[in-house]
Amino acid sequence: MRTVPLLLAASCVHACAWADDPVIQRVLVEGARASQLGIADAASAGTVNQNELALRTVYRPGELLEAAPGLIVSQHSGEGKANQFFLRGFNLDHGTDLATWLDDMPVNQRSHAHGQGWTDLNFLIPELTARLDYRKGPYSARDGDFASAGSAAITYANRLARNVATVSAGRDGYARAALAASRETGDGVLTYALEAVHNDGPYVHPDDYQKLNGVLRYSRGYANNGWSVTAMAYRGRWHATDQVPERAVAAGLLGRFDAVDTSDGGAAKRFSLSGVWRRTGQDAATKVSGYVIRNQLDLWSDFTYFMHDPVNGDQFAQPDRRVTSGVKATHSRHVHLGETAASDVTVGVEAQNDNIFNGLYGTQARRVLAVTRADHVVETSAAAFIENATRWNRWFRTTVGVRADDVRFRVRSSLAANSGTTQDSLASPSVNLVFGPWRQTEFYVNHGAGFHSNDARGTVTAPGTTPGLVRSRGMELGLRTEAIPDMQTAVSLYRLDFDSELTYVGDAGTTEAGPPSRRTGIEFSNYYKPYKWLSIAFDAAYAHARSRGAAPGRDRIPEAIEGVGQLALTVSRLGAWDGALRLRWFGPRPLVDDDSVRSRASTTLTGRLGYRISRAVRLELEGFNLTNRRASAIDYYYASRLRGEAAAREDVHFHPIEPRSFRLTLVKNW
Amino acid sequence: MMNRRMTLRRILALCVAAGVCMHAAAHRFHAGIADISYNARTGSTEVVHTYMAHDVEALLTELYQRQFDLSDPDDQAVLRKYVDKQFWLADKDGRRLPLNWVGVTVDTDSVVVFQEAMRTPAGKVETIHDAVLSDFLPDQQNTVNLTANGSLRTFGFTSNRTELSTH
Repeated sequence: MRTVPLLLAASCVHACAWADDPVIQRVLVEGARASQLGIADAASAGTVNQNELALRTVYRPGELLEAAPGLIVSQHSGEGKANQFFLRGFNLDHGTDLATWLDDMPVNQRSHAHGQGWTDLNFLIPELTARLDYRKGPYSARDGDFASAGSAAITYANRLARNVATVSAGRDGYARAALAASRETGDGVLTYALEAVHNDGPYVHPDDYQKLNGVLRYSRGYANNGWSVTAMAYRGRWHATDQVPERAVAAGLLGRFDAVDTSDGGAAKRFSLSGVWRRTGQDAATKVSGYVIRNQLDLWSDFTYFMHDPVNGDQFAQPDRRVTSGVKATHSRHVHLGETAASDVTVGVEAQNDNIFNGLYGTQARRVLAVTRADHVVETSAAAFIENATRWNRWFRTTVGVRADDVRFRVRSSLAANSGTTQDSLASPSVNLVFGPWRQTEFYVNHGAGFHSNDARGTVTAPGTTPGLVRSRGMELGLRTEAIPDMQTAVSLYRLDFDSELTYVGDAGTTEAGPPSRRTGIEFSNYYKPYKWLSIAFDAAYAHARSRGAAPGRDRIPEAIEGVGQLALTVSRLGAWDGALRLRWFGPRPLVDDDSVRSRASTTLTGRLGYRISRAVRLELEGFNLTNRRASAIDYYYASRLRGEAAAREDVHFHPIEPRSFRLTLVKNW
Repeated sequence: MMNRRMTLRRILALCVAAGVCMHAAAHRFHAGIADISYNARTGSTEVVHTYMAHDVEALLTELYQRQFDLSDPDDQAVLRKYVDKQFWLADKDGRRLPLNWVGVTVDTDSVVVFQEAMRTPAGKVETIHDAVLSDFLPDQQNTVNLTANGSLRTFGFTSNRTELSTH
């Protein structure tokens, strides 16, 4: 009696679900990872929810991004510095070609003193992080600069279901205290978070990383029908142990955790004010967001020691002070086309301005010796896109779009020859075809063009040779299946071409526009949740990256990642206990273009064990590098000269993975 | 059981009435039903709410930006807080009848919330306030079936009409 109307009602729900889905977000109420069938446009796109993020063991906040399969987050210097990212055959350096967003604010800093697209995620507060949406490849008209390898969008919660206070302590001077809470005030909600962190790391010269971090948000209504205003403030300062030459460690001159120049380090500040307004109805949805971000960085690095200046050393400073302001607006209209067909048309406009004062100074123990260059950069961009997502019938849907980007670069430099103005624009079309689902299986064909911007300082000095915007082209075949019960599997086979590769210049600590490149690769990701208390994730990715037009045998791209893998086992709600183990394999990389020097792979095991003392109090033990592997977090190959060496020598320079360490955390919820 | 069956039929009837299934090109229809009746065996007035799972998921996601698992007591408490705020019954003096949270069941299509007012006859219900989901979905239509004193009466609630007297 009961089932018939239920089924009829269910069929009604499903038929209509398509109509609303693009406008009203759909999630499941099963505790499992939400299905991406019928939602994602590519096998390589996905969403990671708060529960999964909270169960991850992260040494540093940026590692939350490793929830996106195939992405590696590392560090080659002091803890306050932006991380090193690897994805899809790229060494993304500090974030080039990985566009990262927090609540519609760009995290990447363009024309940054130290690295193009600098992505410092140290201001990320995990307690507020509600979800992570990632895409790989340039297949969306919504993504612009830096999104060719991928994009990651982090969402902070407008309100917390439960307030949280946490204190942690660990080896090597690690201590953290954080508070995140929501309070109803009138018709709105005030959500705030405060965080203080100290960490020395395992280094002979402790990082003494000191972080203070805060978020204050006021929101009204629902996220899809309401608004929010957010203020954030972050401050960090640290000493850095940069990568060290292998020869010095082999000769016993330096320990693995030693530094060559103990005055390296930095200080960063970030303040932002942002707002989001959204209106969602049956037939239309509008979103407008705006932000002003003040970023300041002082960074002292020394990668070559006494190669350029045998007397004072090669330390250099790369200060960067900037105000980034911007707006984004999108408007979607929903059109019904028939019984099983529906279409959403979205138009969007974006504008961003960066007012930057940065420079490169020669320094000794942080004291300025010479100004190599000091620049005032104004980079202004505007973009517009139109995207159509149509479900044609029960087994075929498409998302097609085109975006136009225009960027103006203005540089006023301490050297007249380095000053100038230039402008560049590009149109980037994209097409996504999705077939299925048949037996819980969808097939994807993706094709699109993307780009990254080059450093303004390079584009104005040599216009014509260094374009402002560099074209990328990607294509992908993908499959996603949930045919096996409780299992989500995605496979993607992709190719990505770049007109010009950005390469990291170790001795200058900057990036440089290089030759064209081609990457082909395959990614395989699985998520299996056979029981409510157990989930298993297994991901593997392989990429083949080559420069194009290079001399035979010299077409390798230094530090380009080849293989990545992870196996993660998560146990939750097993009575009072929960826990996780994660094995990460960070495959070998060529370090020079003829592949004669390669980095070794590193395999690390991390884990956590949680015990619920009461409904409100939980104890957590996190362990890092549990097998205590002596491996590199990152390797480079370049020339350097230590004090007392007669000449510079090419060598592998490495930054070690932290040895086995534990952190104990007490979490109180209310 | 009777209540539950009627509830589902009624949701179906509402769908059909709205023409949703006739031409699926139309919008999803947003509807909820609450049945209020007296259980002579326990001496309590029971309230059984049925909502579409998709609507409840969307509601919680847009409030908290995250996925919810209603089998988790902590996540269920969040829904409870919301329902307690949006749905209440009052007696003739305007005093709220204390509604206890009995539980919730979830399947792929519907979320069913069970509440009860202990030692309270259904006839004591003088005012019904129902704004569940209608603050979130402007076209939400909630139907309340009140079985009291041997008769069944039906009340309709929308975002513009959230409170009704039973007399």
